[in-house]
Amino acid sequence: MKVEATFHGDRKVFSVSAFNEGIGIYLGRLPVLWVEGEVTELRRNDAWAFVFFTLKDPASGACLSATMPRRRFDALELGLGDGERVLVEGKAEIYEARGELSFRAVTIERIGLGDHLAAIERLKRSLAAEGLFAAERKRPLPRFPRAVGIVTGADAAARGDVVTGIRARFPAAHIVIAETRVQGAAAGPRITAALRRVAAHPLVDVVIVARGGGSFEDLLPFSDEAVVRAFAACPVPVVSAVGHEQDTPLCDLAADVRASTPTAAARLVVPDLAELIAGLGRSRDRMDASVRRALARDRDRLERSRERLRSAPLLLLERRRVALDHAAARLQALSPRATLARGYAVVRSGGRALRDAAATAAGDRVEIELATGALVATVSEVRP
Amino acid sequence: MSDAGQVPERSFEELRAELEEIVGKLERGDVAVDEAILLWQRGEELHRLCAARLEVAEGRIEELAASTDDTDAPTL
Repeated sequence: MKVEATFHGDRKVFSVSAFNEGIGIYLGRLPVLWVEGEVTELRRNDAWAFVFFTLKDPASGACLSATMPRRRFDALELGLGDGERVLVEGKAEIYEARGELSFRAVTIERIGLGDHLAAIERLKRSLAAEGLFAAERKRPLPRFPRAVGIVTGADAAARGDVVTGIRARFPAAHIVIAETRVQGAAAGPRITAALRRVAAHPLVDVVIVARGGGSFEDLLPFSDEAVVRAFAACPVPVVSAVGHEQDTPLCDLAADVRASTPTAAARLVVPDLAELIAGLGRSRDRMDASVRRALARDRDRLERSRERLRSAPLLLLERRRVALDHAAARLQALSPRATLARGYAVVRSGGRALRDAAATAAGDRVEIELATGALVATVSEVRP
Repeated sequence: MSDAGQVPERSFEELRAELEEIVGKLERGDVAVDEAILLWQRGEELHRLCAARLEVAEGRIEELAASTDDTDAPTL
């Protein structure tokens, strides 16, 4: 098939429709192939020969218009919803009237559980290799958060469980809630945005992401790479309370702590009021007891000091008396009286004790001191 | 929330930590009695502040408005 062209001088020129037709022929040579994406903007009308939808790349957001004969589409009975991940077989074509590229689908397959599991497993391995789930990355939860952030769906159960759980333990807790879509294809970016918003609140010290149980597909956004990375990058610790005990969305691995239920998450982030009050009471009792002990100890010390103070002069006096007695005894020992008592006498002449007989002459008057009493005598003879 | 420029209110945790520190110091018993009494007075004050914090009947629940990006999405 050849596309008609006209010549303007030496230029070969195509009309728009000829150009589009040419592109169509060119595209027609491309093989039939499979494309994976999310179905969005699905339009189906009984009066139309075709159904129209857009295939969207979940990672980059790139879009591709697609069409499929309505009868064929209906025969598949897929019941596709917006955002569902599918594999579409078909080939590229051009809508010549508008020069628009589109993908003519011949069949559509919903992505199976196995494909999802395999994709999650691949992502898990690569994020683990990156160290995103490492134990060293886990941060301790604050004991007394100034405010608790909650990212939750509009579904009452999970949200109610967290709020009630927090209130029951610690009524004074300040709670900041960011409600968001938690399921469906567009949930990933919403969860990420909500987490970022709540973590940016100046008082929020810890965030709980809560979502009740659901089907495997319902929980898929919580294994979305961007969501998992947002958990890991959150500036405050994150508690993951997503799904039930047996569910392990990847966000659980990136969170700082994983709680089995929203109620358990509430218990993890706020202290127990009753326990706190009891603890405060204990602190006060210990303080009182310590002060009382310190006072008693000081009183004892003071009492002992006072006793020592009182007994100090007596001791001193006693010591002096003993010393005095010693001195007296020694004095006694040195006194001539003891000598006199043994029968010696002191002879004095003119008030001075006589040592030499020659110092006197016959007729001199002398005094003789005895142990008891004294004599006055006259020298009758001197024998020098 | 404290306004900018205002001395930020000390957290319950900080107050409680200070109380615990005072209790510990008093229990070690190596402070003079004058200091012990000062510490005890401070401890009583901290106890009162902490208890008052806990007496708040009910904390606030704040709802963050969704960004426009969130609200325009059709519900499935």
